[in-house]
Amino acid sequence: MTWELFAVFLGSSIRLATPLLLAGIGEMVSERAGVLNMSIEGMMLTSAFASAVGAWATGDPLIGLLIGIIAVQPVALLQAVLSNTLRANQIVSGIGINILVLGATTLAYREIFGARSRAEIPGLGKIKPPLLGDIPVLGPAVFEQVWLLYLGIALIVLTALVLRYTSIGLAIHAAGAEPKAVDKSGLSVTRIRYGCVLFAGFMASLAGAFLSIGDIHTFTEGMTRGAGYLAIASVIFGKWRVGGTVLACLLFGAATALQFQLPALGVDVPNALLIMLPYLLALLAVGGLVGRQMAPATLGEPFRR
Amino acid sequence: MSMTSGTQTASVEPLLSLEAITKRFGSFAALSDVSLELRPGEIHCILGENGAGKSTLCNLIFGVHRPDSGAMRFRGVPFQPSGPADALSHGIAMVHQHFSLVPDMTVVDNVLLGRERGVLNRKQCARQLEKLAIDYGLPLDPYAKIEDLSVGERQRVEIVKCLIRDPSLFVLDEPTAVLLPDEIAALLDVCRRVASSGRAVVLVTHKLAEIKKIADRVTVLRGGRVVATSATPAADIDALVRAMIQGNVEALDSSAASVLGLAPVQRARRDRSTTTKTEALQIDGLTVRDSQGVTRLDNFTLTVDRGEIVGVAGVEGNGQSELTAVLSGMMTATGGRIHLGEAELTGLAPKQITAAGIGIVPEDRHAVGCVTGMSLAENIYLNRLDEFTRFGFLKRTALQREAAAMMQRFDVRARGPAATFFSLSGGNQQKAVLAREITLPNLTCLVAAQPTRGLDVGAVAAVYDHIRAASTRGVAILLVSSELDELLSVADRIVVLYRGRIMGACAADPARREEIGAMMAGHAQDHVQGNLHA
Amino acid sequence: MTALDQSGKTTARFTVRPALLVPIAAVGFAALIGLGLIALIGVPVHDAIAAFIDGTVGSAYSIAASINRSIAFALVGFGFVLANRANLTNVGGEGQIAVGGIAATAVALDGHVSGLPLGLAFILPMLAGVIAGAVWGAIAAIMKIKAGTNEVISTLLLSFIGVWLLYWCVQSPALLRKPMTSSATLPESLEIPDETKLPLLTGDYSFPLHIGLPIAIVIAVVIAVVLSKTILGLRLRAVGLNPVAANRAGISYARTVIFALASAGGLGGLAGALMLLGEQYTLKDGFSSGYGFDGLVAGLLARGSVTGVIAAALLFGFMRSGGINMEMVAEVPTALVVVIQGLIVITLAGAALFIERWERK
Repeated sequence: MTWELFAVFLGSSIRLATPLLLAGIGEMVSERAGVLNMSIEGMMLTSAFASAVGAWATGDPLIGLLIGIIAVQPVALLQAVLSNTLRANQIVSGIGINILVLGATTLAYREIFGARSRAEIPGLGKIKPPLLGDIPVLGPAVFEQVWLLYLGIALIVLTALVLRYTSIGLAIHAAGAEPKAVDKSGLSVTRIRYGCVLFAGFMASLAGAFLSIGDIHTFTEGMTRGAGYLAIASVIFGKWRVGGTVLACLLFGAATALQFQLPALGVDVPNALLIMLPYLLALLAVGGLVGRQMAPATLGEPFRR
Repeated sequence: MSMTSGTQTASVEPLLSLEAITKRFGSFAALSDVSLELRPGEIHCILGENGAGKSTLCNLIFGVHRPDSGAMRFRGVPFQPSGPADALSHGIAMVHQHFSLVPDMTVVDNVLLGRERGVLNRKQCARQLEKLAIDYGLPLDPYAKIEDLSVGERQRVEIVKCLIRDPSLFVLDEPTAVLLPDEIAALLDVCRRVASSGRAVVLVTHKLAEIKKIADRVTVLRGGRVVATSATPAADIDALVRAMIQGNVEALDSSAASVLGLAPVQRARRDRSTTTKTEALQIDGLTVRDSQGVTRLDNFTLTVDRGEIVGVAGVEGNGQSELTAVLSGMMTATGGRIHLGEAELTGLAPKQITAAGIGIVPEDRHAVGCVTGMSLAENIYLNRLDEFTRFGFLKRTALQREAAAMMQRFDVRARGPAATFFSLSGGNQQKAVLAREITLPNLTCLVAAQPTRGLDVGAVAAVYDHIRAASTRGVAILLVSSELDELLSVADRIVVLYRGRIMGACAADPARREEIGAMMAGHAQDHVQGNLHA
Repeated sequence: MTALDQSGKTTARFTVRPALLVPIAAVGFAALIGLGLIALIGVPVHDAIAAFIDGTVGSAYSIAASINRSIAFALVGFGFVLANRANLTNVGGEGQIAVGGIAATAVALDGHVSGLPLGLAFILPMLAGVIAGAVWGAIAAIMKIKAGTNEVISTLLLSFIGVWLLYWCVQSPALLRKPMTSSATLPESLEIPDETKLPLLTGDYSFPLHIGLPIAIVIAVVIAVVLSKTILGLRLRAVGLNPVAANRAGISYARTVIFALASAGGLGGLAGALMLLGEQYTLKDGFSSGYGFDGLVAGLLARGSVTGVIAAALLFGFMRSGGINMEMVAEVPTALVVVIQGLIVITLAGAALFIERWERK
């Protein structure tokens, strides 16, 4: 395999991993505080649709992005209310939201664009970072990416710092591990969890926007195709740590990139198997390597004083 | 009924006063018409049996619950905390019975939780902790993780969490239940120092020894009501006890009374047939290493004869849970063997261990012992369902009938055999679990871990009766308990566990309490005996 | 389980209980919103309703088709309820249906099978479907036992894998794709031989109700009895409520989990097999699309009751037929039905707290 091909492979891996990274970090924070959001998939799809329509309607991808971010917050709020205030089963409510969003976005898309159209939608631009982008051979292919990725990296670093060095980070960790301690110290477990779900929603909205207006510049029905679940799997694989989650997402991104890479190398593997690969990998990840004891102790359990 | 004798008058203004407080949970009245006053500089003890309403009272003060009627005043101003945050901002701090610490965080992080905003200053907090350690006698390693600390050390963290907020009212809910004898003395000393620094201290307890040592004032609760108060507790102790249990101490089962600190411990005088001393349970070199490689049980060797009651003493967290778990088949030991008579039980599954004749009363019945959502009948026969099966179908009427008979025999009070286990009181739940294990068809050995924790005096006496009856029948009994008094009055022989190792063994003689206490604190036996005889 | 439900019996009585009232209210609420959406997209509401009714009960054919569909949903729903009794959530219905269909087709197309007597020609493919689905469920079970993996994630990922496995099977001539005579040959399998097709109850193709119906009814009765009257049902319940205490009492956690998830998977596989052998006759990509989730929602709606599953499955079976007709005739996208289902799930999930409080009084 030549260096060029390898560079393309790396670049694709990063590109395909980006939505997972964005959504994964948000979900990681929420899970650390004890809330499981199966609805990440639905939140991503909402944003993918809303930002696509927004960009198409206004002609400006940035406004599209903004609309995508705004559109997800009510969905995240709904999930937060269901999980914390109504103490609903977090898995059932999350899947319910996913079903609702799938139906709603499909319905809305059909009504706006008709069944077969693949409207051209203005997309977000790429940027080429100064030093890294100039590396010969590897540079452009690997580092020239949609600017959302670099924003995402900054957010990831920020998240890691906040979790480790600030009082909010402490509170989030404690809310998932021992919410009683948080309650007795005068903080509100509910407020912390609400905040984390909304943050997960924000990150998921960036991820979804990336899918539609960042990457392929169009919207297709159900375009998230399980990416939200892969994000959840990456958090488990990453043992609820920033570093691990990032690595897991890159791995899944690379697995997805193989779909295009192997045929280019002349390796004849059925396309279906390659598409299956990230899910297979995710399955092995959650099955083989991580034990129960790693998860935040109260993950999925609503808090009751 | 107040027993204030002459000389001391309440000249100081109360910091917090409760007036006619009532609190109900559904139809159950946890507190009725409770009034009391807490003054700075005083150690006020709230005495009462398990279930008398002490914890509810603390939770009300701390804002976890709100009273249904009555009023509270803080420094004379009406006071109704909306939650712990509100109580904390008024200067009320509480050390709870069940710690609320995050296990995988350090001491500093746990103390910082909820105190600061923005970027954490861990170094400064560590310095503050060191100062508190000196002022109040609470040594701690600021950067240790909670999960690596002993129970006594964890309690110190809880206390430090309170003191660092400079509270004016300091509440401790049953703090000595988990401590070693000398740790208890240290804790009481801390309470005295805190009170001397001008704060009000509330100590909730059911142990008389503590009352005698440091109480300035006592309020006695029974069934949610105040039944006695005293400003001279040491003098009035007998009357207070009578008020607490509504009766005479002499009428109580002596062991139950001594466990609750109501009467001195008497050596168990039991007739044990010394004809054939057959060894029933033999544990050889049992070792347990957990998933992190930490040794929880180290070369544990013990033999229990038929009809013998052997006590395993030691504060919680020194290997008792692992011992019980291995004996019940829930955990595999890393090394060592277990024999019951001729049969080897090492590594067998719970079902086979039950079939071999070992009954286990677990220390945490809700986690391991019962399924609270199922009925009483289903729980009692959970490990014997095969007896009620025909072609796979459950013989429900037979099950109910047998369960009803069991309820009679063991005085388990509930709405009926079909009542959910959850609806039973703690004492009745424990009686049911005990009933299930003791009535195993071929019971040869009974392992009971903390069997009377949280039970009132009547239930405690019942449990002891059943254990003694079983031992008379020839069942070998292993009694694991962190209550030394319990072991001294019920067991024949005591071994002491500390950090997974047996520190020593001796007869269950109250005269040797000091020696046993020293072993519980980690001093090996010959060491201790050497010191005692010196 | 509520304080009232002491004996663990399934709710088969028709008293006005909140557990019955709330799902009905949820459906009603979602339907109203659905009607609102129809109006919003500019379709005359009565046209839509007429098309819907026509699609559901307009002809004998559509009724039979709806019932056949309901059978698939019901089987997945039964599996969900069974596993849920042990507190296991199986969301992999779609993948289990897919592998069930694959296995059934593979066996049916095998030359030796179609000649077998005594109905084995269609029984064997059915069993193959059950086994395939059971294996799919068992994988998740083993992962749960060995590694503590949350079965929601594992069954979900397995579902995606199963669906892509189906895609591969119908795309690859080496697997199940029919011989490509031209580049326009569709990616699907050959049609299964007549002997392997499920016999119809009436023998009349204008009312194609197949023997899947009596099979499903028998299964329903068996499961209802197991859950309420047998030791097995009690053991499932114990493991679901407190697996540690159940283990201590001698109930094997491993065996119970494997049984629960393999059964759920097997029922899903059976649904797939019935769809293939009873209606579709040809394995196509995406044949399971949406069926898994519909069955899941039926299971959720039912709140542990077998009759609830049947009611919900019938509702969704007819709703799907109505939806398809609404799209063809009144131009209302079938996605609307999906929206309604999502609303039902969310409403029920959110109302659980109130149902519990109501029942406790």
